[in-house]
Amino acid sequence: MTADELAWMPLGLPEPNVVVAVSVNGTTVTEQVPARLSAADFLRHRLGLTGTHVGCEQGVCGMCTVLVDGEAVKSCLMLAAQLDGRRVETVESLAPGGMLSPLQECFKASHALQCGFCTPGFLMTATALAAGGAKRSRAEIREELAGVLCRCTGYEFVVDAVEAHLAAGAGTAADD
Amino acid sequence: MTEVAVPEAPARADRDPAVLGTSTPRKEDDRLLRGEGRFTDDVGRAHTVEMAVGRCPYPHARIVRVDVAAALELPGVLQIITGAEAAARSGPIRILRPVPGAPVIPHYALAEGVATYEGQPVVSVAAVSRHVAEDALDEIEIEFEPLPHVTDVISALAPGAPVIHPDVLDSNLLVSNPQGSGDADARMREADVVVEGRFFVNRVTGLPMETRAVLAEWRAGELTVCISTQVPHLVRKQLAESLRIDEGSVRVVASDVGGGFGLKLGIYPEDVVACLHAMSLRRPVKFVEDRNEHFRATTHGRESVHDYRIAARADGRILAMSDTYANDLGGLNSPFGSSQLSTVVFNGPYKVDDGFVERRVVVTNKTPIGAFRGYGQPEVNFAYERLIDTLARRLRMDPVELRAMNMVKPDEFPWVNPVGAIYDSGDYELCLRMAAEAVDWAGHRSAGHGPRPADGRYRGIGFSSYVERTGYASGKFLAARGSDFGAHEGVNIRANRSGGLDVYTGVSSIGQGSETVFAQMCAEFFGCDYDAVTVHAGDTATSPLNTGSFASRTVIAAAGALLDACARLRAKTLRIAAHILGVADPGQLDITGSAVQHREDLTLMVPLSSVFQRAILGQGLPEGESPGLDETAYFDPPHAAYSFGTAAAVVAVDAESGEFDVQRFLMVHDCGTPLNPKLIEGQVRGGLAQGLGQALAEELVYDPETGQLVNGTMMDYFAPTACDLPPIELMHTAVPSPVTPLGVRGAGEVGAIPAAAAVANAICDALSDFGVELDRLPITPELVWRALRGKVLAGA
Repeated sequence: MTADELAWMPLGLPEPNVVVAVSVNGTTVTEQVPARLSAADFLRHRLGLTGTHVGCEQGVCGMCTVLVDGEAVKSCLMLAAQLDGRRVETVESLAPGGMLSPLQECFKASHALQCGFCTPGFLMTATALAAGGAKRSRAEIREELAGVLCRCTGYEFVVDAVEAHLAAGAGTAADD
Repeated sequence: MTEVAVPEAPARADRDPAVLGTSTPRKEDDRLLRGEGRFTDDVGRAHTVEMAVGRCPYPHARIVRVDVAAALELPGVLQIITGAEAAARSGPIRILRPVPGAPVIPHYALAEGVATYEGQPVVSVAAVSRHVAEDALDEIEIEFEPLPHVTDVISALAPGAPVIHPDVLDSNLLVSNPQGSGDADARMREADVVVEGRFFVNRVTGLPMETRAVLAEWRAGELTVCISTQVPHLVRKQLAESLRIDEGSVRVVASDVGGGFGLKLGIYPEDVVACLHAMSLRRPVKFVEDRNEHFRATTHGRESVHDYRIAARADGRILAMSDTYANDLGGLNSPFGSSQLSTVVFNGPYKVDDGFVERRVVVTNKTPIGAFRGYGQPEVNFAYERLIDTLARRLRMDPVELRAMNMVKPDEFPWVNPVGAIYDSGDYELCLRMAAEAVDWAGHRSAGHGPRPADGRYRGIGFSSYVERTGYASGKFLAARGSDFGAHEGVNIRANRSGGLDVYTGVSSIGQGSETVFAQMCAEFFGCDYDAVTVHAGDTATSPLNTGSFASRTVIAAAGALLDACARLRAKTLRIAAHILGVADPGQLDITGSAVQHREDLTLMVPLSSVFQRAILGQGLPEGESPGLDETAYFDPPHAAYSFGTAAAVVAVDAESGEFDVQRFLMVHDCGTPLNPKLIEGQVRGGLAQGLGQALAEELVYDPETGQLVNGTMMDYFAPTACDLPPIELMHTAVPSPVTPLGVRGAGEVGAIPAAAAVANAICDALSDFGVELDRLPITPELVWRALRGKVLAGA
């Protein structure tokens, strides 16, 4: 069966299923999923990557932000089927070893999280931002982070954390 | 105020680094940063069934018929529960914080007969997946007969309004609570000037990023409930009551909670229904509220109408203050129901002997109101602080001087306000002066009004001074109000063989940082390293009975319990160590990080891990010493502590269009002795973001014609993003409270209180030449434009 081939699978439910082959945090997984399963639910409930959260299921709150082929996207607005052949990174990819990543350390040092439910969304958004390499003003950082809502922090310390991370980052941005 | 002994922290040798009082990084952060938090929907159980709920789409309707036959035929559907069945299998949901004197409105898990708000649960489906459960909801036929509805407190009280709960009430007035002392009416008659206003406070939602979620599992007579809640032990109590089972059969676990803000206090109907499914299906049942459900079925906050009056002498001295306010309860009385603190702090920081306040609680056909950060204090602050500025204009006085002359002075504490609240201590005027200085109030006053040449806009500065009651004044105080919970916290601390301390608490981690602050306190009071303390939060099976995380009370109450438990644990540790080291007097020993050491002979030392291992092993102990190092302590705070401060906003307003910018926002606050300054700043900033959201953009809007919530989605409700908040500057004073352990005051809610009044006062100051007096929230450019236009038309 090819990956993008729709199949009616007799799982006890009359539900169309589809096979997805996707690279998630560097590992290729092949899973048979209901056609209507969202990418966020796929990551959370099929792959057990529960660091990606769901907050509104309409692409507003940003809790479910992950990287798809390097771009920050809201995974509640994608179907699992649309991940076929793509490369996905979730918050679980940031600190694969024992140590927190520099970005995560900046969040910790800045007290950029309280309940932590939105934090993976900010981390993945900031990861994409840092990969872009461009210099960012504080106002631009705020614009970039506006796709993720937070009810605990008032954002100031989140902006502090991202600013500190970008300032300390690679050096290429600062040298421009 | 009676003198009550408040435990004090033991005098400790200076340790490097100090832990308590510093901005120690949080215990909670590592797991949350890695995406390894355990929010309720992250918890899995084998063979879990998912639940979806069918809700009433009308504000008020009779449920004529529910036909589930077709839905039951759907493959994968396991069970459907209707209102009649839920009522047969469970008792009503009890109120935790009743309004004094209010009759009980029956509140069952599923509506039976009549539903009283849009979003009320009517029927529930358990199925192999949420997809299938929702498919089944489409197949359920419910015949509703819409009934006349009311969607605001004024029309709900009008003669002839449909009575929403006719079995219990003759009208939609649930109860009215007049309180006060002196003779406010007489002072109003005698006064040189009386100002009054009707202030409309908007209905908003706390909107935690994690919606409600519950996972119920029933195995061999034990119900294990993972739930997103601020109060695991109160959820245990309420579930046992509603399900009519022994509390011993119920274990409640709240590991990580994705924000609470007052919305996750006590049980909701869906929690009961999930348990009913789990108990009859003998399979775990999960319910995760979606966001559209959250907007309709999780409690809202704030909506109220305040009729406020202030009487004063010509020199500005306030003679009397009165507030008659109506709180919109919504269609049912949720566990925390109508906010109650508008009464307690109705006079804010102002000294007045003659005061009267009446709370009227009104039923409407909207989502039930519940607690939300501040619980009445932001609402009444908007009313009295708006009116103070109106009074200043009437008297042609400087509003800062008017505030200062009427504030309770530092040497007047303790001071009892007209409704019996005991203000403990503080320097209210200092905070006001600091705020005025920081925004150059004097320079602004001398610059005069009128448009500024640079951009043609009008500049304005507004202030809001406040007090906030933090914590509860003892279990006795709560008992007098019929509250179904205590004021205490309990902690259990156990030494472990690795040389560390395990702290068990029923306070769940909702973002407030209690794991961190509890560990800081434990390290300080016991003497060990911060890293050696592990806090285990939110599991009723392991933690001692407690109250929970709300009302800015946790640190106040927990500090007392931690002090007591640590003192006993420390004494026993030193006795055992003295025995090991052959020292006669344990008082000659001290705990220094990871060891017990002699105070003079520093070579005499034993690692804490050795002491703990010996205690746990229970061998080689001093004669008569019991095995184990395990202490549980409770603390009931004798009094509440009052936080205080002043916020200031600087605005620029376009008098043609009503558009405005908040150019600066500043707050000077005092929450007593700071235990972790960075966490306090985080709390204050978070509260301010919600306060500014309420002030500038947020409002749950109901269409009066249809009774429908018109903006109940994340797309249509404007919670502030990172781009939407003005620059915020914080300053603080630190006056220790004499009535709490360590002198702390609560900090969790304070930011939400003064934002709206400060911004409104700034705009009214900017537009004072036009006579604009804003009386409602949120303050949008349209509202300002309408107010300007009203004045222009009135003038013409």
